[in-house]
Amino acid sequence: MPQDIRSFFAPKGGAAPAPKKPAPPPAKPAKRGRKVVESDEEEEEVKPAPVKKPAPKPTPKAKKEEPIEDASAYFAAAGKNKITRTGPVRAAPPVKKNITMKKLNLEDDAKYLDDDDEDYGDDIFKSEYGKAVEDEPARKKKKKDDDMDLDDYKDGDEDDDDEDEDMDDFVDDNDEDVKPKGRGRPAKASVVKVTPKKPAAAAAPKGRKRKSITPEDDDEEEEDEQPKPKRKATAAAKRKTPVKRKEVEEIEESESIKDILSSVPTVRPPTPPPRDETKKFNYHAYKAKAAAPPPTGTKDIPVGAENCLAGLTFVFTGNQQSITRDDAIELVKRYGGKVTGNPSRKTSYVVVGSEAGPKKLETIRELKLKSIDEDGLFALISKLPAHGGDSTAAQAAAKKAKEEEKKIQEIAREMKPNTTVAPGKEAKDPKSQLWTVKYSPSSMKEICGNKKQVESLQKWLQNWPKNLKKNFKLPGVDGSGLYRAVMIHGPPGVGKTTAAHMVAKMEGYDVLESNASDTRSKKLLDTSLKGVLDNTSLMGYFNTGDKKVDPSKQKIVLIMDEVDGMSGGDRGGVGQMAAICRKTQIPVICICNDRRLQKMKPFDHVTYDLAFRRPSAAEIRTRMMTICYREGLKLSPQAIDSLTEGSHSDIRQIINMLSTFGVSGKEMSFDESRNMATAWQKHVVLKPWDIAQQLLQGHMFAPNSKKTLNDKIELYFNDHEFSYLMIQDNYLKPHPQRASNYSGAEKRLKELELADKAAESISDGDLVDAMIHGPQQHWSMMPVHAVFSTVAPSSFMSGSYGGGHMQFSAWFGQNSKQQKLNRYVKEIQSHMRLRCSADRHEVRQFYVPIFWQMLCRRLEREGKEAVDDMIELMDDYFLTKEDYDAIIELGVGPLNEKSLNVPTAAKSAFTRAYNAASHPMPFMKASNVIVPKGKAAKKDQPDLEEAIEEDEDEMEMVDEAEDAVEEDDDVDLSKDKYVKQAKAKGKGKAPAKGKAKGKKAADEDEDDEDDEPVGKGKGKGKAPAKGKGRPKK
Amino acid sequence: MLFVDKHRPKTLESLTYHHELSSRLKALANGDFPHLLVYGPSGAGKKTRIIATLKELYGPGVEKIKIDSRVFTTTSNRKLEFNIVASVYHLEITPSDVGNYDRVVIQDLLKEVAQTQQVDLAAKQRFKVVVINEADHLSRDAQAALRRTMEKYSPNLRLILLANSTANIIAPIRSRTLLVRVAAPTADDIVDVLKGVGKLERLEVKDGLCKRIATESGRNLRRALLMFEAVYAQNEVVKDNTPLPPPDWEALISQIADDIMAEHSPQRILYVRAKLYDLLTHCIPPTIILKTLTFKLIPKIDDALKADVIKWSAFYEHRLHLGNKPIFHLEAFVAKFLRLLESFLMDVDYDF
Repeated sequence: MPQDIRSFFAPKGGAAPAPKKPAPPPAKPAKRGRKVVESDEEEEEVKPAPVKKPAPKPTPKAKKEEPIEDASAYFAAAGKNKITRTGPVRAAPPVKKNITMKKLNLEDDAKYLDDDDEDYGDDIFKSEYGKAVEDEPARKKKKKDDDMDLDDYKDGDEDDDDEDEDMDDFVDDNDEDVKPKGRGRPAKASVVKVTPKKPAAAAAPKGRKRKSITPEDDDEEEEDEQPKPKRKATAAAKRKTPVKRKEVEEIEESESIKDILSSVPTVRPPTPPPRDETKKFNYHAYKAKAAAPPPTGTKDIPVGAENCLAGLTFVFTGNQQSITRDDAIELVKRYGGKVTGNPSRKTSYVVVGSEAGPKKLETIRELKLKSIDEDGLFALISKLPAHGGDSTAAQAAAKKAKEEEKKIQEIAREMKPNTTVAPGKEAKDPKSQLWTVKYSPSSMKEICGNKKQVESLQKWLQNWPKNLKKNFKLPGVDGSGLYRAVMIHGPPGVGKTTAAHMVAKMEGYDVLESNASDTRSKKLLDTSLKGVLDNTSLMGYFNTGDKKVDPSKQKIVLIMDEVDGMSGGDRGGVGQMAAICRKTQIPVICICNDRRLQKMKPFDHVTYDLAFRRPSAAEIRTRMMTICYREGLKLSPQAIDSLTEGSHSDIRQIINMLSTFGVSGKEMSFDESRNMATAWQKHVVLKPWDIAQQLLQGHMFAPNSKKTLNDKIELYFNDHEFSYLMIQDNYLKPHPQRASNYSGAEKRLKELELADKAAESISDGDLVDAMIHGPQQHWSMMPVHAVFSTVAPSSFMSGSYGGGHMQFSAWFGQNSKQQKLNRYVKEIQSHMRLRCSADRHEVRQFYVPIFWQMLCRRLEREGKEAVDDMIELMDDYFLTKEDYDAIIELGVGPLNEKSLNVPTAAKSAFTRAYNAASHPMPFMKASNVIVPKGKAAKKDQPDLEEAIEEDEDEMEMVDEAEDAVEEDDDVDLSKDKYVKQAKAKGKGKAPAKGKAKGKKAADEDEDDEDDEPVGKGKGKGKAPAKGKGRPKK
Repeated sequence: MLFVDKHRPKTLESLTYHHELSSRLKALANGDFPHLLVYGPSGAGKKTRIIATLKELYGPGVEKIKIDSRVFTTTSNRKLEFNIVASVYHLEITPSDVGNYDRVVIQDLLKEVAQTQQVDLAAKQRFKVVVINEADHLSRDAQAALRRTMEKYSPNLRLILLANSTANIIAPIRSRTLLVRVAAPTADDIVDVLKGVGKLERLEVKDGLCKRIATESGRNLRRALLMFEAVYAQNEVVKDNTPLPPPDWEALISQIADDIMAEHSPQRILYVRAKLYDLLTHCIPPTIILKTLTFKLIPKIDDALKADVIKWSAFYEHRLHLGNKPIFHLEAFVAKFLRLLESFLMDVDYDF
């Protein structure tokens, strides 16, 4: 089709060649132009090129004939299109469109050359649709070609007598275009110049190209979807719309640009895998894939001319060979290009790498986008002239930039009075003001971002007096009518305080501000605000009534800034503030950073919450540019954007940065801004997961990684207590990059070797850790620890992370479990202490297994019968029921807790029997002594006493214990479990003692009897026993 | 009660082996009793011997023991609960119970004991004896705290330090004590003891079984007696070839050894890590784990590798003591072993 269009334009072009462009060199550029076309189509570019070169000048006839043929073919095709629409090739029309668009973009010049026109027919179609051939039958392709031809042709012919639809479009286009033209966009200008003789209508569609692409698409699609019968009626119209579009888009590139663009190697994107609709999206598979192997190769990244990618839009997909995604994006941005996430019609280039996303590939194919690889990108960068030369895209970008600049200048002019007035009031020299003050917004218009929030704040303040009269009963439209106070929250530097002040000023309120620099304890708040809360403004207060005071002067608003800064000294401040908010008679605006803090809980349901968000780069850009303009700084929009990005949209910080920069320089390059942004970067502390992720699966250790050792060590310091444990827990999971070149058994050996090195390094790290946390406290060795424990192991093991999750370190859980079980062992050992001499390790290693077998396993096997023997054994060793449970838990491996399956009946029989009997205790723990008040404390003393006695006649005790148990049964035990146990003990021993020392036994029995009556008597009863015990010692 | 504790000898005379040592201790008890550092492997009878010696020193009074619970306050105001086993004449402490705070205990408690003289005029000795268990686990600070106390308060105080080895005990302490080594009983000694116990319990004692127990126990008499009892507790009829069940942790370690041999890959290390963690959390000391694991692995590998494996085992065992987190070193050993084994199997030279 291009040739058709050309034919249409031919006379014009011939008559009035574009004044700006150099006289088109006839032969060569033409060839080039064609080449470009081919390359655009992602075909075997080189081959067709030579064919075209020799192509003779076309005969006008042939050209004319074509359209006619095409017309019939077109109709046929149109019919077919209709039918096949639902089929796989459904996308025919869009395809067409894209092709034209792209081609047009690139061939601005060629189009106007007469000699170009002729040979287009065949060559172009071949090359253009070569791709289509792959997928579709040749026949179909032909048809499509034809129909495009027709479109073009029609366009040429019918331009002026278009049908309604067309006209509509035209009108729209004009509308859109007029404005830019008025502002004198350079790029547009060139377009216009090309068609000086044409009536406005003709020029308009051309200009429209850039802007109205999408609406047109819509048109077309709509048409396509029309039912069959209607279709015929609208056929003509339909035909025209695409025609128009094409015409419009036909803007050609200058020769030099064409040269460059044609020299950029394009690649054919891999065919997207067939999509299986039934297949569900597998997140893990996706993740596994997402964890891309880091780039392996290294290439020199070219240095291009400034802003050379201006106006071009890039999309990245897949993994590049030598450059990471982030680096590539930064590279494009540096040279003024735009990077978007998903390919669209506006995309100039798709940079395709390995394992590109299937979805993206589909889109690429659908839209016939130009795809290049990283070499292509580098070529573009190194070859394109500064500011994108005179390519259309660049020009468009330049125009846009200029427009913006103009706007900025306008705004700057507008701003002048504001800035001068404000300081004037306070009689301040504007030079002495901070820029942040100087350029703080004074009207709604000047607010960057969060417009909606500011508006609702304003509305709230406006309605406040009304709501006060209604006693805050009616919620109002936005629900703000219920609240006496507003809570603005959001990250620092987005303009919360500014907005509050501005709104107050706009609504004519006097501001009473309190911030973190004031002490705001409960008491102070109470006293200092008491008088204010139901007052009017001072100006109104002192007015004696003669003069009518400006009503606005009677109003006062309390702004409580930095509410979350109330802490420490401000005891009870938050609660008091919330109370004030509940009953205040003047509007209160509270401001904080983090609303979700626990501390801010009292404000729930008390204040109307307004969340301020970080404004986008676009929202900030204009404002910043204005400031730069006013201050005479020269910054490119990219530089501003990078500052914005670097400061996470902190407007205040950006202004401060500019202000700082303004002292020393006037012009800031992209790199400078980038460096500045990083230098000013707020330190964000990474979470342990992120640290491990960056180290283990990142591209951190790829050969072309630019991270220095210090950067890696820095990661460790993000959380030095967790990072190395996270690495330790996860280092065995990735598939190490370093082993990726091996296969089979060698790979396994290599992996083991790497794992061994990593493990050894971690082991080394632990020695360092011992030095740091040991008695010497060598904290200066932290970096050494970082390297050994974190960086080195990751350097060995980093690689793609096969779908697994980064696990949180198991060490903490295991450690606390170990401590718990250790406590159990100690407890058991201390109970057994009177019977065995083993230390706690021995107890764990040799006693616990045998107890496990003789108690737990036996109960499992023999059930109830074993209970008596078990209790006897336990009593022998002073083991308690808790110890029994601990022993179960202490079993490991074959004696695992889970392998034990004691029948419930046996278990309860054991519990019952154990609880029924009394059991000897070797001693009472000091901490336990305090627990039951008074009486228990006294009781444990005799136990100690008895323990001694027991040992005196140890052998006897064994027999006696049984007696004791029997005896216990007839004793009425008191309800308190604890008391019961203690008493039982006393009993159990009493008979033992009885044998040893008759008299003592008698005493003890007395004591016991005392106990039984219950209650207060007990404490006294025991006291004498204690008294007796002492002197003996 | 279990055999071990039921038939524990009470006097120096009734001890069945190391007679020479027994008589020497008896002589010391009746003469000038020095500070003692008694060391030897566990299950050799150190404590039994000491108790018997104490009885020799003070008479049966030392057998009247009680457990006392004391609360100490550290400099950082932390409350430490500490159990003391005491008779009128002696007290027995295990400072390693309180970990790093052992110094506080040593300082406070020993001074307190040493500064008060023996009240009981009828006592045989003027001094009290403090038995310190697990002396080799005392921190450096605690050991340093002992030094001067031992000399200054010697009229009132004698120390008996019990340790598994003297390696961790600082030289000043060693020079102030009489070193007494209690060697592990020989297999024959153990068999004798087992037979004696069997006779007392009226069990049918199998000679072969006793010998097997003696070797299996690693010359640990306590372990041997417990195994002996376990066998009789779990089997109705005991024969010479009745299987001896290993303790739970040992069974798990042999399982780990099998796991390691079965597959050589980083994933296997990960798998083994879980089991190692299991052992550690269940209070099996890491050195025991490493030692046992090494000796379970050794029979499974080629002779050419054995020396290297032992070397690395020793290497990491040392690190277990130097470092903080045993799992790191255990895992490093497993990784090293797998690498060694794999490169040996693939006939690749592993360059150290």
